[in-house]
Amino acid sequence: MTETKPITYAWAINHAIDEEMERDPAVFLMGQDVGRMGGVFGLTRGLFDKYGAERVRDVSIVEHLVVGGAVGAAMGGLRPIAEVQFADFLLLAGDESFHKMAKWRYMHGGRLSVPMVVRAPCGIQGGVGAEHSQSPEGHYWHTPGVKIAVPSNPADAKGLLKSAIRDDNPVIYFENRRLYRNKGVVSPDPDLLVPFGRGTVARPGSDVTVVAWSAMVPAALEAAEVLEREEISVEIIDPRTLVPFDMETVAASVRKTSRLLVLHEASLTAGPGAEIAARAADELFELLDAPVKRLAGADIPIPQNMALEPFCFPQTDEIVSAVRDLAKW
Amino acid sequence: MTAVSPDTRGTDERGTLLRLYREIARGRALEDVVHRLVQERSFRGFFHPGRGQEGLQAGVCAALDSDDYLLYAHRGLTYLTAKGMDPVEVLGDFHGRVVGSTRGLGAGTVHCVDPERGVMGQGGTLGSSFTLSAGLALASKALGESKVACAFFGDGASARGTFLEAGVTAKAWGLPVVWVCENNGWAVSARVQDVQGTNDIAPRAEALGFHTQVVDGQDALAVHEAALEAVAQARSGVPAFIEAKTERIDGHYTGDMQPYRDRDEVAVAKARDPLDLAGGRLVALGEDPAALAQIRAEAEAEMAAADAAARQSPFPDGSRIHEGLWA
Repeated sequence: MTETKPITYAWAINHAIDEEMERDPAVFLMGQDVGRMGGVFGLTRGLFDKYGAERVRDVSIVEHLVVGGAVGAAMGGLRPIAEVQFADFLLLAGDESFHKMAKWRYMHGGRLSVPMVVRAPCGIQGGVGAEHSQSPEGHYWHTPGVKIAVPSNPADAKGLLKSAIRDDNPVIYFENRRLYRNKGVVSPDPDLLVPFGRGTVARPGSDVTVVAWSAMVPAALEAAEVLEREEISVEIIDPRTLVPFDMETVAASVRKTSRLLVLHEASLTAGPGAEIAARAADELFELLDAPVKRLAGADIPIPQNMALEPFCFPQTDEIVSAVRDLAKW
Repeated sequence: MTAVSPDTRGTDERGTLLRLYREIARGRALEDVVHRLVQERSFRGFFHPGRGQEGLQAGVCAALDSDDYLLYAHRGLTYLTAKGMDPVEVLGDFHGRVVGSTRGLGAGTVHCVDPERGVMGQGGTLGSSFTLSAGLALASKALGESKVACAFFGDGASARGTFLEAGVTAKAWGLPVVWVCENNGWAVSARVQDVQGTNDIAPRAEALGFHTQVVDGQDALAVHEAALEAVAQARSGVPAFIEAKTERIDGHYTGDMQPYRDRDEVAVAKARDPLDLAGGRLVALGEDPAALAQIRAEAEAEMAAADAAARQSPFPDGSRIHEGLWA
């Protein structure tokens, strides 16, 4: 348990699945190309050879079945990890995710359990366009009954996925494709979990609080380096899960800084940042010296031209500028 | 596809048919209670009566073991009692009382549940039971259990895309599903022929590679025998499909006067009442009509008592809405 060699975010996900499949024979994986190919992004490499076709199941283009079948399998005593190739494809299984996965337990009096994980690769990268680039965590935050993980680094990617697999509730795990190659130190301890509902201070600071998750955390860290040279101290809070949401860690930070910027990749209007900003206005009003600001993706479908992608979601210079404006209050 | 012939019936035809007659009578008596609740406005939601379809529901459920999974459809209640659910819990859901299977959340048949008897619920969006049953069947198979996952649905739901997605996967993985299409010819107010270009649903299951049977859904015994075969096929890893040609005697919901439907056609449907047909066959086999009347009277008494018991249960308080969302 002393190994400290950095591994990628992608490989941390692979290790989490591998360890949980080894620990619990009820855990299985299904999705397009997860088996023989090892995943279109290579995340499930090695699992088919190790666990076989019964536990690493390739499927056809059947998103309804992947999500709805996982709901059924979970009720029947398995712990499915359902992979949709892109988070956008989860919306194809709208009925299965919004209605069946999120509501089945509640609708039936709380007498059934749906312990399952949907792995949803999200994020703008690689010129894959409007239907392969979204970050729809807000859609599901608006859906009572699902937990949501949004890891920003390899250690959290592993620890949160392991927690998700062991959770008795449905979890959507949004893994950002821009983070797949990012490296970090990850504990090889198979029992090290990252709990849901506990945010973390990704960088301590004292002037402005930035709440960011997923791929916006590294972007905010970069911006904080620039701002430090201007003697503006940024504290970055990474909630790590949106459901449950750790408002206490946000509040503790705003108590120090009195200024709050909410940052996300998903488009701005009615996005997840609106919820955090509204809660801050409700609960932290007396702590604030400035209006709560949001910086988020543009309100457009993502174009396929890669040269236009940087204009679609917050870039480091925009984060720097937004924090700078807040710091003037 | 195989058509089930009366010649294949087992030797204890009378005993089996008596058992089915009793379940049909219980389901009908339970629904009659619900009709009264609707009329007296004790139940203000929509109820989709299963009158005319009780025979096939009883016939299939009698072929399931108590731990086999059931995803029932919205039309009728016979599935639930035939699978062993306590009618007090079912009526408790109609009354919205805590004794209901949903412990006070329910109002109506849509989400009755009984995990101990394999009753895994129903979705308000039709066609969702295809994928859920495939998942339940996968769990059974992966865990080395012998349970089948039986899903009922109407001709309308058979048009959902989920039918194809779950069907191809069930075939590829050899899943123990038994899909039962209750084809009553009507999707609310639309004729199947008009909206699907055919009256026959079974060919699409056959095309997927399911073991497929078409059966007269008004003949409870014929359905039962088809279901025994379907369950055996499913347990051996061959997904099975039954199209039961049936009759919807009442409207889409209690109170629907069916202005879109020809009176003569409804009269024909009524003449093929599964309870009457089963009773007629039993009398032909030597059963005393008085014994059948006794079975019906017992069913009515059982359901009246269940209704009284359900009404004794308290309503949930408002905090109930916040319970049970999370495991």
